[in-house]
Amino acid sequence: MESLIYAGLVVISLVLSVQAGHVLYLMLYTWDQPETEQPARAPDEFVEPYLSFTAIVPARHEEAVIAATIERIVRSNYPSSLLQVLVVCSADDTGTIQEAADKIDELRAEGYYNAELVIFDDQPINKPHGLNHALRYAEGDVVTIFDAEDEMHPDILNVVNTVMCTEDVNVVQAGVQLMNYNSNWYSTFNVLEYFFWFKSRLHHHARYGSTPLGGNTCFFSRELLLSVNGWDENNLTEDAEIGLRISALGERIRVVYDDRYVTKEETPPTLGSFIRQRTRWNQGFMQTLRKGVWRQMPTRHQRFLACYTLAFPYVQAIVGLYTPAALIMMVALHAPVGVALFSLLPVLLLIAHLVTAIVGLREFTEAHGLTYSSGTVIKMILTWLPYQMVLAYAAVRAVRRQLAGQGNWEKTTHLGAHRAIPEGKAVSGGA
Amino acid sequence: MAPDVSMSERVALWLRRPGNGLLLLSLVSGAVTHGVNMFRYPLYITDEGIYVQQAWSVVREGTLSPYTYFYDHAPAGWLLMAAWANVLPGQFQAFGNEINTMRVLMLIAHVISSGLLFGIVRRFGGGALGGFAACFLFNVSPLAVYYQRQVLLDNLMVMWLLLAVWLVARSRERVVTAMAAGLAFGLAIVTKENAIFFVPALAYMVHRYARGRGNRRFVTSFWWFALSAPIAMYLAFAQLKKELIPSGFNFDLDSPPANHVSLLYTIWWQINRSGPEGRNLFLRLMENSWLARDPYILVLGAIAVVGVLMLWSQDRQRRTGYLVAALMALGYGFYMVRGSILLDFYVVPLIPVLAMNVGLLYGSLMKRVPRSARTAVTVGVVSAALLIPGGYFITRNTERQLEAHDLYHLAVTPLQEEQIRWVRENIPTNSRLIIDDDIWTALHDREPYFPRAHSHFKAASDPDVRDKLFRRSWRNIDYVVVSNKMRAAMERNNAGGQEQWILDAIDLHGRVVWELHRGDIHLQVYKIGD
Repeated sequence: MESLIYAGLVVISLVLSVQAGHVLYLMLYTWDQPETEQPARAPDEFVEPYLSFTAIVPARHEEAVIAATIERIVRSNYPSSLLQVLVVCSADDTGTIQEAADKIDELRAEGYYNAELVIFDDQPINKPHGLNHALRYAEGDVVTIFDAEDEMHPDILNVVNTVMCTEDVNVVQAGVQLMNYNSNWYSTFNVLEYFFWFKSRLHHHARYGSTPLGGNTCFFSRELLLSVNGWDENNLTEDAEIGLRISALGERIRVVYDDRYVTKEETPPTLGSFIRQRTRWNQGFMQTLRKGVWRQMPTRHQRFLACYTLAFPYVQAIVGLYTPAALIMMVALHAPVGVALFSLLPVLLLIAHLVTAIVGLREFTEAHGLTYSSGTVIKMILTWLPYQMVLAYAAVRAVRRQLAGQGNWEKTTHLGAHRAIPEGKAVSGGA
Repeated sequence: MAPDVSMSERVALWLRRPGNGLLLLSLVSGAVTHGVNMFRYPLYITDEGIYVQQAWSVVREGTLSPYTYFYDHAPAGWLLMAAWANVLPGQFQAFGNEINTMRVLMLIAHVISSGLLFGIVRRFGGGALGGFAACFLFNVSPLAVYYQRQVLLDNLMVMWLLLAVWLVARSRERVVTAMAAGLAFGLAIVTKENAIFFVPALAYMVHRYARGRGNRRFVTSFWWFALSAPIAMYLAFAQLKKELIPSGFNFDLDSPPANHVSLLYTIWWQINRSGPEGRNLFLRLMENSWLARDPYILVLGAIAVVGVLMLWSQDRQRRTGYLVAALMALGYGFYMVRGSILLDFYVVPLIPVLAMNVGLLYGSLMKRVPRSARTAVTVGVVSAALLIPGGYFITRNTERQLEAHDLYHLAVTPLQEEQIRWVRENIPTNSRLIIDDDIWTALHDREPYFPRAHSHFKAASDPDVRDKLFRRSWRNIDYVVVSNKMRAAMERNNAGGQEQWILDAIDLHGRVVWELHRGDIHLQVYKIGD
């Protein structure tokens, strides 16, 4: 029996090591193959505005941030005549509706008539339903989404107009970046997750035609969006789902990442909201995995990549459960040295991830004109394992909720912390 | 390449690429010079026996040593040997006997190392001719062939080291290549710790090559990380066995901790270990052993290091590899002259590094020779080295007749096999034997087994063997299987009197029951008592 347990430990350790190694490879993809990053950069010169855009801004209980977001989109460096802004709210969210309406009136007084409020009063009250509802009113050639707290770059529409006019592409995903890396103990890692996802990993997905899209700053040809019947309203990660659905059609998705043009966001303000957000993402991936759109992808590599990404929350849940069990078994069973060494392999990979995060922090702060202190690095070293445990807990929680049939949308609160960091200003990071 | 191209056409295409013909020639000549007569020359030595017995222990007993493993060397080298034996149909007997089987692994390691050396010199800017010149020395120098045939951790370390350098030289762009290079170098260190003296050169190389690149932070960080990983696993191994730190945190070299062995204590002991003759030992080995086998590679190599440094100083931007090659030689040279314990085969890692410098210098000189004359000059140099008596291939024997170098025709290991055969046929298997390590595996892995045959080192110093089996008394020894080399080693190892009881057993209570004398090789078997 003991030898079976040892064999199991060795096998699980090897599988986890391979998996962690692969994730590491994806995180470092563009640094490992720098030639893949260059074509993904934004064009240095823009073509004349040609395409019209509809920017949908789904908002729920976003009184604190909605007005600034509307203003920023409306005042972006793109002709008002080619830009339609649709703020979509459910009828019960009177606070956000009031804030949005006030801002729209204010803009109209200044001569901006391209922002509208779209209100729905049917079920379900969630983001994909709001998006689908707003899609009915969309008039632009291209439909895009900005979340209520987003700080989009004023030139992002010029970037996408140029890409879509010069390349034969119907879907563009531009960069999204959390900025408040020093707000709390977990924000550094959360910020870096976005950094590695959009700057590196997504390029790998796009290259092989298996791209789970992000929740905002993605741009669709309206025709394509209508032809696929918009977003899946029963999915908690409708963004990833639609990306894989479009990928399965063989549609090329262009990823544009340029540190200069990222849409800036904030990390969830409390650990609770962070866990709820992560739980929702995990559940969404699990739902998409079960839905099976990925099976329709034409190549084996596409299917593998999609399945691998969508199944990741299960892996994370298993890691969460396996780690304490492995430790207990190693101590209680006095595992042979060879077995114990194999069990250490995933730990080695975990340290490699920490090294990646620390170097990534340097890259991130440099790219955005920020600075960090050694205190931040020490904090990262100390909080690395707790952060992994939080992620594992969120994955286990997602599995539990999924098994219990709890699929309701757990809302993430936004305070606008990313807006406290003026562009280009150096922020000293403290522990 | 089109799928309908046949294998022979592919080979022909590959050979037509500039320099690949010379690469192939280097690989083949390396295989020939090391492979011909390698089972018969040189003599099996104690260290070969020790590493083979430890690999045997990994395969047969699942432990790192048949005796108490006291962290004298990190185990990656003999783990690789164990893996090699494990995949062969006849395991340790696949090529006749245990040491021969491992000598084949050394041959493979050498051919791989040759290819890597060629690639490094070419990448560093020495061109294909420079690569060929480096490989020629590495393949044909009697000093190189003599030690590189032997089953030594250093030979495997050299392979990992050259792989690490080649990976960085080959691709400066990729992070995974830097990781692989770091890992290879880490494996070099846990194969033979003296690889650590190459750290400054390789670290400089990695940092210099990454400079100015967008991924430099990841490249350098992961090179260091991957380099540390095998070392960390080695430390973790010791810790899991509760043998990392000495009991009572006792680092007193005069009174070693008695409870258990300790990795950190052994490292501390190694650092503080100095040879009785200090730098004189280096000079003695240089004069008696290394220069006697091949003065050219050492002298030319030393000159080449200076020359390569001068060439580097003329064009620092484009000749980083020149500095790396020189730093590698200087780093390891420092290790050798600093006055620590030295064994003659410690010169092994210096050989490819000197060859690398000679290759770079030769390649640079050839660029000043008209293209049409380069081949003729190179053929001339190689022919002279091979054909002039006293050179690399032709020598004069004691009768002043010309013949091939001893390396290629002398048969000395059959004498050792004869000794083993006599032991098998004439000594009862339950006898208590004191032997040299070079025949240990032969007596433990082949029937009839001699489970109570132990090396004189263990009989002199391992408490389990010395105090429990032999109880430090000649009365508990049945036979001593000895050679003149073993006798000399026993006398060298007798500074504290630990081998005296065995020497007394031979001299006062032993009688010769078998002996064989050929030249300066003297093999004997003593029956002890009655």
